[in-house]
Amino acid sequence: MLELVDLSKKFKQLYAVKNVNMFVERGEIIGLLGPNGAGKSTAISMISSLAEPTSGDVRFHNESILKKPGDFRNIVGVIPQEIALYTDLTADENLQFFGRMYRLKGSTLKNKINEILDLVGLTDRRKDVVKTFSGGMKRRLNIGVALLHDPELLIMDEPTVGIDPQSRNYILETVKRLNKERDMTVIYTSHYMEEVEFLCDRIYIMDHGNLIASGTNEEIKRILSSEKTISIKSDQLNEQFISLIQEHPLVNRVVTTDKEITLMVAKEVSMFVELTKFAEQAGIELTSVHNRTPTLEDVFLHLTGRALRD
Amino acid sequence: MIGQIIKKQALEFLRNPVQLLLLVGLPIILILILGVALSGFMNGESPVIKVKLAILEQESEEVQLERFADDLGEELPTEAIEEMENILPIERLKQDVLGSEEASKYITLEEISSEDKERVLNDNTYTALIEVPENFSYEILQYWFSAEEKRSSVHLYTNTEHQLGVSIVDGILTQYQDQLTLHSFINEKQIDPVVFEENLQNVTADVSTMGQQRAVSSKDYYTVGMAVMNVLFIASTIGSIAFLEKSTFVFDRIILANVSRWTYFIGILLSGMIFAFLHLLLIFGFAWIVFGVTWPNLFGFTFVTMSFAIAVGGIAVLLTALCYRLNSEVITNFFSSILVSLMALLGGSFFPIGDSSAFISKMGNVTPNGAGMSAYLSILRGNELSDVTNHVVFLLLFGVISIIVAAWSFPKRGAAL
Repeated sequence: MLELVDLSKKFKQLYAVKNVNMFVERGEIIGLLGPNGAGKSTAISMISSLAEPTSGDVRFHNESILKKPGDFRNIVGVIPQEIALYTDLTADENLQFFGRMYRLKGSTLKNKINEILDLVGLTDRRKDVVKTFSGGMKRRLNIGVALLHDPELLIMDEPTVGIDPQSRNYILETVKRLNKERDMTVIYTSHYMEEVEFLCDRIYIMDHGNLIASGTNEEIKRILSSEKTISIKSDQLNEQFISLIQEHPLVNRVVTTDKEITLMVAKEVSMFVELTKFAEQAGIELTSVHNRTPTLEDVFLHLTGRALRD
Repeated sequence: MIGQIIKKQALEFLRNPVQLLLLVGLPIILILILGVALSGFMNGESPVIKVKLAILEQESEEVQLERFADDLGEELPTEAIEEMENILPIERLKQDVLGSEEASKYITLEEISSEDKERVLNDNTYTALIEVPENFSYEILQYWFSAEEKRSSVHLYTNTEHQLGVSIVDGILTQYQDQLTLHSFINEKQIDPVVFEENLQNVTADVSTMGQQRAVSSKDYYTVGMAVMNVLFIASTIGSIAFLEKSTFVFDRIILANVSRWTYFIGILLSGMIFAFLHLLLIFGFAWIVFGVTWPNLFGFTFVTMSFAIAVGGIAVLLTALCYRLNSEVITNFFSSILVSLMALLGGSFFPIGDSSAFISKMGNVTPNGAGMSAYLSILRGNELSDVTNHVVFLLLFGVISIIVAAWSFPKRGAAL
């Protein structure tokens, strides 16, 4: 259905996206993962025909969207990361305005607005101005606007940023419903691994503008099939403790946060005794030490050397 | 589609009461304050000046005239004596100059004796004291008729606390002295005074008055001044809203709906024009109802308003395009915080600055608000639309050029990158 061929975007001397190749089949939910600055939003802008690639192509049903962006725009719905709404207008007025932009009118528009409000659960707030909405409600309306023209392909750029868990679940469930009930193809970008794991059939991982891995959940996790992750927590983590771990020959990779160290070692390696010894040497007390099977987050860590939310 | 964009813009304006108050309420308050506070200044009303002037003659002019006639040593005919009586300098000063109808509106002349001199000098209510010494008129007559040069002068005592009054008295006396000198010159050169007067009349240029034009009151002036200044904020507000649409990706969303960027562009342009037109009508309508600012030529007024609205629409779309091009709101902020004030100053919105210099006046007229102001004031004075064609053409050209530059700088694709 959609194919990205050697897609690149360069700003001055810097590649925001470099030689990205990917494909999307009809009815799939595709996850595009990467930390901030990975190039996801730039890729989304090119996929949605808003930005022109420096090189490469975006093909929809084997035709370049660069030649006829208008045709492509008729079947694509884009949900930007920002709340792209008029906050001084009511939910109804926003849907009216964008509906008219999509050339809907009369009873068709009216019915569509009712349907969308019902879908995003805002029927009872339709007459309220958007600036009085909670973050989650704004996000839901933001999604609703992109659905006004019944798109075949929905591109969602981090649609759950900064909202409460309840609204987040609502949005994730809505995406699932749209995919199942309307056979809507979805490209979903996020840096929340659990969202992608929950939603997506296939995943592409980006970092520094490059595509560094792709496959289904299981295929990607298999990258770390020979490794395991050890998570260490302590309120007193210090430089000495971290460097002792980093210098250990059996540790493949280490990522530290304020109160947690995540390290990857070969599956058969046990580090418990060493870790206790290191803690003693560094004069700190460990709160917990956990062994676990790798998650997508761990895969990302393995591939890029940094956490997704860095 | 364009109608929806304009409707949406209108809703955004109406839903923002603070913005609305600034756009409509502020000019009304300013008209009220400036129109009332500066009404005297603008209406050409003089401040109330009362000059209390004392004159002390140390010797009667009649006595001096008699002595002059006796000293001539010959019998003068009665007509000659009467003629000399008519030209006695101090009497003429008192009667024709200080006692004239115009001067007596603000000068109270009091003739005093030598005994009163000290009292007058100590009385702060007096603006000045003119002291005429003995023989003053005698010596003047001698100079006129015998060409015997003797320096005679009057003494002027002034009260420094009455500066304005002192300058008036000083001016009158200087002018009077010039006239006496001229009279002496005519006598010295034996020029016939009648012929001299006739020649003077021949070289006097015609003085035309502007009495047929309607006077512009301070409220008229500041209604126009504040309206043409504040309507520029419509342009910057539209520019700001448009930039917000870009930064929140609403513009991208519109483009993704397959709406031509030109549709959006025209929507912004028409919003600017329509809102500017309505804004001007609102301010002028208010001024008409509350201050009685009426337009003698409604057609001219409407035409100027439409031209001005086109110029404002041009600015609105130019600001929008520049914000999009530079990906920054700095240009709109600069326009609303600095440029509008500067243009308002040059255009004469705060006071008629153009009166102080022809250069500033020209500079003012090449700002849209200045051109609009000149056109409006001219219409208010009762002139026809044809009299303000230059300003109207400038406004239309300004609008068209702004639109062309804006169209050239408007982004060709979405604004996301």
